Amino acid sequence: MEARLEKIPRAETLRYLAWHGAALTAELEADLDRCEALILKNARPRLVWRLFALTDGGRFAGTDYTPAGRDIKDFLAGCTQAVLFAATLGMETESLIRRTQLRSMADAVLLDAVGSAAIEAVCDAFCADLSKELAPRHLTGRFSPGYGDYPLEEQRAVFRLLDVSRRIGVSLTESGLMIPQKSVTALIGVSDTPRENRQSGCGDCLGRFACAYRKEGKSCGKA
Amino acid sequence: MEKPDILILDGAMGTMLQAAGLETGELPETWCITHPERVAAIHRHYVEAGSRVLYTNTFGANRRKTAGCGYAPTELIRAAVRCAREADAGRDVKVALDIGPIGQLLEPLGDLAFEDAYDIFREMVTAGEEAGADLVVFETMSDLAELRAAVLAAKENTCLPVWASMTFEKTGRSFLGVTVPAMALTLTGLGVDALGFNCSLGPQELLPLVRELREWTDLPILLKPNAGLPDPATGEYKIAPADFAEALAKALPFGVFAVGGCCGTTPDFIRCLCARLHAPGPAPQRRARRHGICCAVREAELDAVRIVGERINPTGKKRFQQALREGDLDYIVRQGIEQQDAGAEILDVNVGLPGVDEAAMMRNVVKALQAAVDLPLQLDSSDPKAIEAGLRVYHGKAIVNSVNGRREVLDAVLPLCKKYGAAVVGLCMDENGIPPSAEGRVEIARRILRAAESYGIPREDVIIDCLTLTVSAQQEQAAETLKAVRTVKAELGLSTTLGVSNISFGLPARETISACFLSQALAVGLDLPILNPNQRAMMDAVAAHRALAGQDPDCEAYIRRFSDLLPAPATVAPMQDMTLREAVLRGLGRETAALTEKALREMDELSVIDTLLIPALDEVGERYERQELFLPQLIKAANAACEGFELIKSRIAARGGQSVSRGRILLATVRGDIHDIGKNIVKVVLENYGYTVLDLGRDVPPERIVETAIRENIQLVGLSALMTTTVPSMAETIAALRESGHACKVMVGGAVLTPEYAKEIGADYYAKDAKQSADIAKRVLG
Repeated sequence: MEARLEKIPRAETLRYLAWHGAALTAELEADLDRCEALILKNARPRLVWRLFALTDGGRFAGTDYTPAGRDIKDFLAGCTQAVLFAATLGMETESLIRRTQLRSMADAVLLDAVGSAAIEAVCDAFCADLSKELAPRHLTGRFSPGYGDYPLEEQRAVFRLLDVSRRIGVSLTESGLMIPQKSVTALIGVSDTPRENRQSGCGDCLGRFACAYRKEGKSCGKA
Repeated sequence: MEKPDILILDGAMGTMLQAAGLETGELPETWCITHPERVAAIHRHYVEAGSRVLYTNTFGANRRKTAGCGYAPTELIRAAVRCAREADAGRDVKVALDIGPIGQLLEPLGDLAFEDAYDIFREMVTAGEEAGADLVVFETMSDLAELRAAVLAAKENTCLPVWASMTFEKTGRSFLGVTVPAMALTLTGLGVDALGFNCSLGPQELLPLVRELREWTDLPILLKPNAGLPDPATGEYKIAPADFAEALAKALPFGVFAVGGCCGTTPDFIRCLCARLHAPGPAPQRRARRHGICCAVREAELDAVRIVGERINPTGKKRFQQALREGDLDYIVRQGIEQQDAGAEILDVNVGLPGVDEAAMMRNVVKALQAAVDLPLQLDSSDPKAIEAGLRVYHGKAIVNSVNGRREVLDAVLPLCKKYGAAVVGLCMDENGIPPSAEGRVEIARRILRAAESYGIPREDVIIDCLTLTVSAQQEQAAETLKAVRTVKAELGLSTTLGVSNISFGLPARETISACFLSQALAVGLDLPILNPNQRAMMDAVAAHRALAGQDPDCEAYIRRFSDLLPAPATVAPMQDMTLREAVLRGLGRETAALTEKALREMDELSVIDTLLIPALDEVGERYERQELFLPQLIKAANAACEGFELIKSRIAARGGQSVSRGRILLATVRGDIHDIGKNIVKVVLENYGYTVLDLGRDVPPERIVETAIRENIQLVGLSALMTTTVPSMAETIAALRESGHACKVMVGGAVLTPEYAKEIGADYYAKDAKQSADIAKRVLG
């Protein structure tokens, strides 16, 4: 399975921009077109993944790794296997967004949002492919370090297990953040029987305390 | 077994360790201490298979990766060298200290300083030399900045031979965008003993890269490909040992002196290499080695005219001088960006100004420029300290501008060029001044060339400046300069450069005469014109020359340049009816500047700011609050206003007056956080509202924030943190500010913050967005 990025859903981009539904001006639409084209041109989507059997204790078989936290146990309940993956848009996009900040902050804000939508699209495409590949088994949604009580510090373990830096060129900062920033790591549970779809909800979200949508009693639609 | 004439390296260590029981995720280097017999056994298998160089099991034995494993890098390295030595068994086997990437990205994209990376490598290489390694090999590198730090650490702290090996993708670039020519130019310049590729690709996929590398270097090449590409689901490699050897054999004629294997290869692969590989046949014909200069992701080959942008230079530019004095790197960097957009291919960087620490400024500007512009740099200074400060942190092969015929200058600067692998500009002058005749100048050029060669600098890295004199003052000198260029080019075969616009000082219609002189100089062999790429006539002259000299196949670039020419917009037509307020509201920068200029005819600068620009910005802010405008539109409007402010700043600077500012604000993204786009948005908005922002960047430690706040007597500090994990360091920063006793207000912002939380950690203000930060600034500073 190769990383795929064909189209960047505009609605997603607008969500990252905290758009509240006012009419889009023609000029803004044109800016969005241009920024989407720039991200598509600069993105070098890459992907690394592995399928692990889960032991009874929740350990990844063949490794010394057991994901920490109560939430991840709930999330993987009933799963016999888990897919761990990391995806990135690549350093070219990181560079593009950083450099654009010096030329035009307005463009940089748009590119940043388009980039976020793009890496989500890469993850969605991967999940769709994976679902076919592993059929008739069933997949859960994605769960990333930082969701719920699954600590961000687990990123280091994920990086070791997948050899992420060497395989797709993503690095961790000293505090455990990923560069390029448009990168994602996540776990997906695999089970033999269909189960309640445990997509991660608002309760698991990092931004739940400050979320503009939640303050208005809405959700961003991802949960 | 017949002994092959090519040096056989070993195969994978990781693959073998896993087969011996290493679990995924376990730190392989610790096995040198916990299971030394198993590590030694792997080495022995490779020696028996025919390896004559063993890479130690120290790929990740750096202090970052091994933190918390219970062993220091020096212990692991000592044990690892011992394991490899034990496998020798009387054969003449060399032990290579193997060093991979640190695993943390260097500035500017990452958070590891060049100097810290250097220190991490220094610890490893000195430990390796003490432990008795025969050489050091850096491999699997994808960042030229990191590899430079590594090579410098090895060359400055040990006597070991240095091999440098990088990892590329099929696209011909590394993960960080490094090109093969940039790798070759930089590493050859640094004086490594061998260079090559490993990992990532199989032998077949590597072949085109080896071919390309060979075009750019004469150094021996080493190859350690993977056993093909891994199966994503299982992580297993597919290619058979015999096919691996077969594919590698094809690469041998391209200067390859050593081969082995990376991920997925085993002693069987090495055995096949020994059986299959013999001395390569006669090397295929190749044209002369290609040469040039580069930054990490782009090269400027010196086989054709290359435009050197001259704008990063304070001479005669008040606004630029002000930026240097205020440490306003953004302004300087923007000069670089503008020149790249205008077609510059190399940037000259001159930051010398009395009262400014030139070495520190050169280092900072080089760092900032390479974060923003992907063009090779020409470091322009007469101060060897400033030259070295710039060369040290420059991630590529630079040009040093300049030396001249004076012995003490040559002896001070040429060793630096040699050490860092830079090309050098030699000015045709000496202690007696500029010789009036072409012959005199050529004589100095010869002297400079001899000196450079005596220091081991190859002649293709010597660039001669025959010096442009002002034609209005010394009319006969224009012809002498051209004559000297012709001779240096034809007889010495050296590249040439000229600061072109000097020719026209004191004359009207300067661009006309400068462009004409440029054409004449290009015709006699000028390679690197130093000019202002924003001047159309000059750029047109270069385009025309390229077409005439056959450097522009089918005149394609020339045709494109002029067919794209739309009639220039009649200087902003709808402007008659537009007010400054409207221009700002619609985010129209050029119009805002023009209307500001118009307003300045009737009002003084401060009135324009207070009665026109600021109220317009306030209206933008209100509409943003009402959600009628969107963040990008807010920023665009702020940017437009900035064009007005910038114009006012230039006018005041030109008068030598104090810069206008509504007050100074310190901004920083706190330690541990690298997500700084939010902080940068706030910065742009605050600046556009007329405040001066001291931007400390991202991942900033509390001490630095406190120290700067005190030193600069800052009244308002803005802190940003995006992640829950970094909010504690925001709290820590606020506590440190309070503890210091420095009275200032603190505003905080970031995705995970709330007003309540802001209060809890001791902030004075919570800023929901950039607009609010401007409101807070107004309240605190006025």
